[in-house]
Amino acid sequence: MIQLVNVSKQYGNGKLVHALRNVDLQVARGERLAVMGPSGSGKSSLLHLVCGLDEPTSGSITIDGVELSQLADDARTRMRRDKIGMIFQTFNLLPTLTALENIALPLRLQGLRRRETRERAFTLLERVGLKDRATHRPDELSGGERQRVAIARALIFHPALLLGDEPTGNLDSATGAEILDLLDELHREYHTTLLMVTHNAMAAAICDRVVTLRDGRIIHEERIEHQRGGS
Amino acid sequence: MFSALFHITLRQWQQHLLRLALTTLGIALGVAVFFGIRTANATLLDSLRLTVEKVAGKATLQVTAGESGFPEEILDKVRTTPGVQLAEPVIEVIAHTSFADEGNLLVLGVDTAGDQQLRDYQFDRSQTQVADPLVFLAQPNSILVSRAFAERHGLKPGSPMILFTSIGKKDFVVQGVFQPTGMGEVFGGNIAVMDVYAAQVVFNRGHSFDRIDVMNSPGVSVEAVQQRLRTELPSGLEVLRPEARGQTLENTVTAMRLGMLTTSFVALLVGIYIIFNSFSISVNQRWKEIGILRAVGAERRNVIWMFLGEALLLGAAGALLGIAGGFYIAAAASKVMGEIAASVYGSVSTPRPAVFRFDYALTSFALGLCASLLGAWFPARAASRLDPILALHNIETRGKETVLGTARIVTGVFLIGISIALVFWSPTRVGMTLQLFYAVVTLLGLTILLPKLVQWSARALRPLMDWAGGSEGALAVDAMIQSPRRSAATVGALMVGLMFVFSTGAYIQSYRRMIDRWMGQMINADIFVATSAMLRSTTYHFSEATGQEIAALPEVKRLENVRFTSIPFHGDSSALIAIEMDGFLARAGDAFDGANRKTLLDLLPKGKGALVSRNFSLRWGIRAGDPLKLDTPTGPLELPVLALVDDYRSEKGTIFLDRALYKRYWGDSAVDFFDISLKPGADRAAAKRDIERLTSSTIHAFVYTNAEFKKWVSSLVDQFFLLNYMQLVVAVLVSMLGIVNTLIISVSERGREIGIIRSLGGLRSQIRKMVLLEALAIAIIGVSIGALAGVLSTQFMAHTVSLVLAGYEVPFYFPWMLILSSLPVVAVGSVLAGWWPAQRAARRRVIEAIGYE
Repeated sequence: MIQLVNVSKQYGNGKLVHALRNVDLQVARGERLAVMGPSGSGKSSLLHLVCGLDEPTSGSITIDGVELSQLADDARTRMRRDKIGMIFQTFNLLPTLTALENIALPLRLQGLRRRETRERAFTLLERVGLKDRATHRPDELSGGERQRVAIARALIFHPALLLGDEPTGNLDSATGAEILDLLDELHREYHTTLLMVTHNAMAAAICDRVVTLRDGRIIHEERIEHQRGGS
Repeated sequence: MFSALFHITLRQWQQHLLRLALTTLGIALGVAVFFGIRTANATLLDSLRLTVEKVAGKATLQVTAGESGFPEEILDKVRTTPGVQLAEPVIEVIAHTSFADEGNLLVLGVDTAGDQQLRDYQFDRSQTQVADPLVFLAQPNSILVSRAFAERHGLKPGSPMILFTSIGKKDFVVQGVFQPTGMGEVFGGNIAVMDVYAAQVVFNRGHSFDRIDVMNSPGVSVEAVQQRLRTELPSGLEVLRPEARGQTLENTVTAMRLGMLTTSFVALLVGIYIIFNSFSISVNQRWKEIGILRAVGAERRNVIWMFLGEALLLGAAGALLGIAGGFYIAAAASKVMGEIAASVYGSVSTPRPAVFRFDYALTSFALGLCASLLGAWFPARAASRLDPILALHNIETRGKETVLGTARIVTGVFLIGISIALVFWSPTRVGMTLQLFYAVVTLLGLTILLPKLVQWSARALRPLMDWAGGSEGALAVDAMIQSPRRSAATVGALMVGLMFVFSTGAYIQSYRRMIDRWMGQMINADIFVATSAMLRSTTYHFSEATGQEIAALPEVKRLENVRFTSIPFHGDSSALIAIEMDGFLARAGDAFDGANRKTLLDLLPKGKGALVSRNFSLRWGIRAGDPLKLDTPTGPLELPVLALVDDYRSEKGTIFLDRALYKRYWGDSAVDFFDISLKPGADRAAAKRDIERLTSSTIHAFVYTNAEFKKWVSSLVDQFFLLNYMQLVVAVLVSMLGIVNTLIISVSERGREIGIIRSLGGLRSQIRKMVLLEALAIAIIGVSIGALAGVLSTQFMAHTVSLVLAGYEVPFYFPWMLILSSLPVVAVGSVLAGWWPAQRAARRRVIEAIGYE
């Protein structure tokens, strides 16, 4: 599903910052991969490159068989819209929209009519346990509820790939655990490939594999065996 | 603390140079228009005053009878009045020359024997042939011209020169050239001097003078001489100092000056909205920074002063920029105002470069600062009241902005209600300042309600935007529904600009309709012959002899001589139309409100009564049946007012008298219009050609058929409103600047939102579309609210301003077509204004926009 070959990323003009150095990584379809590492290790840069928000300095990134560097900005955006759902640490919900409207937003950006998108959004809202919160705006929701809305938004178009940037980073441990359970359930339901950047060992534990980054390099890789029927 | 906060502000400026520039420009534009118009006003007044003073020379007093002139016997009375050292008669005419490119020449008829003691001609001695003034007197075709005029036309002593006079084309001989100083500067140098008695003949003054210039004896005060002259002379004559006469001239252009001042205030008002908008957005942008400052110990007042200090600095920079730019506006505006003063009011001015006045600059600077502080006050106060904990949270937790509490809605509605009631029910005598204050209160009420109005309008617009613009359309208006304050200031700026456009447009259209209706009723002669291409010439007139020649044409059934002049009345002035009443009554139909038709036909032609216009009646409280007391050059005249009539030719009001009566009391046989009725079946166009053929070689005349005359009057109305059209352009430009400002700022404020949309798969084109649709939504809402404000403002102008300034109400007519046609214009303008911000939003890097550190 995801293939990174010899990917490097540098920032700055004078004194260069090497965010990623010659990273090789493959993620299979349906696999859940956690990327861990200290601050500044290159986790977020990796995520931005995979979702096409940024371009590598060198190397190639292939998503679902498509080489990202071959795509123009609009094509990369369309790929993101059609195939990649994103969950952010800071939720990134639009404050002016209701929970339902936030969830429906990616479909509306795809050009679907409002009525059509509302039904699908409501189904997902119900699925994440917030059917009573449909008309609430982000400021009227708790942190956990906001992240549920963000997850529902990321899944509304059934993406092949789900990217999570510290999805539990802004939540207390109990709420974080709830969110991880939800992600686990949804993975079983939708079989979506998951690439999650996290500091949280509990979050990493729901994944099939964990890679650890330091100073832009993969320094450790570990496969996690889950008990059958559990996470 | 202050220096630390100033440091933070400086950093903000470095990061938001564009916002800084646009905010400064908003104030600069307001101040520039304000300063420019005030300077232009002052320049025009200086120029009017200067003309009077330079032409007056050393005269300390001037005797006049309005524009009508007075019998020459008065001169002897003046000369024999104790304390008068010198009294010199003057005739003043703007005449036409035969030079193709130099239409008008100010001709002064003077008695050269004594006049050189009064006026400093400063002849080019090498060239002048007037060694002996008696030579000049002995030759009635002699004329002296200024050097500027002589050089322009290659004239020198002995050169022939042709003038169109009231008795036909006349050949003159240039006898001397005077230097371009003193009197030679007047009217751009287009000035000439001839013998006063010759001028009486060729300009149809009979045995009258236009003016007597007086110099008092040494040791006798001017006031004493003025008092003696007032006692000695008939009451219809005015004895004024030249500067007071200048003031009288200034009064004639009051309406135009007030109109211009209103524009400048509108520009300043729009500037306040721009500042308010800019600072509101600055507070939003710096939400987190304010939270941090409060968290580390900054007090509320420190935060307020941080923003007010910024406003003061920006206000100062904007005001200085505005004053510099305004000076250039003044140069252009004073030229236009001078032309209008000359064409519409017949005021002779001397073109002057705009003079930089420090008092105006100081006032403008102070107003710029006040406007800036006023605009920044509410955002600064809002910033100081931020909850630091909430401010430090992410955008989702900031909470929905409170739109308006009930108290504010009630206040807004109350202010609008009370001010409208005051506008409608206050007597006009409370004056323009108070009436304008009521209008400002209405605007204040609307401004308080703006966020709510924006929210309602955006809600109403959402289904349409969603249907037509898809998700981008819905997102564009959602932002306005949730954060109406963000758009309220822009909509406010647009509202003020458009309110001004709509109400001015409505007023012009209402005025035109009123004039059309009036012309349909009162202007019914077949052919009109006028002395000027403008409303009238105040100095150049026809003679009755010319009228008799025209009346002798076979197709002419009847010709009426009409004198249109201005006379002193109760310390002010009034227009006077002397007309042959039997013919006028026969043509005017049932336009009279007062005595019955039979009484009018019986008394008016015999000079036993007068008609007055409705605005005259309103201005002076004189109704039908009341006595009208007039001071004429030959003594007082008292007549009953028999009826009121609609007439809009003078904002001072108009008195209608029978011409024979006028001639008897004023000793003035001059004619300004010939109203000609043709025999049945006669062709108007052919008759016009015949009259032109008859007059073209002798007099300077403008011949119109009935339709052409009405069209001509309409074009004069347009010319009068030329300044208003300029004002409309300024208002629209300033409003557009407001939209650019808001959108650019809105785009930077919504950077994170835009970043989120992009990260969720929003294409650059979708972002661009969203911003442009927001601009469109602002335009639609601005036009809607502007139309609402325009209705109130039109009513104010048609009812109150007209009544106070001109003494008549203009029937209310609201220009739906103007509003509907302005929508696409404003929409296109807004979309164009939004183009660059939209491009900027679309190009922004997503990672930076969503705020990854």
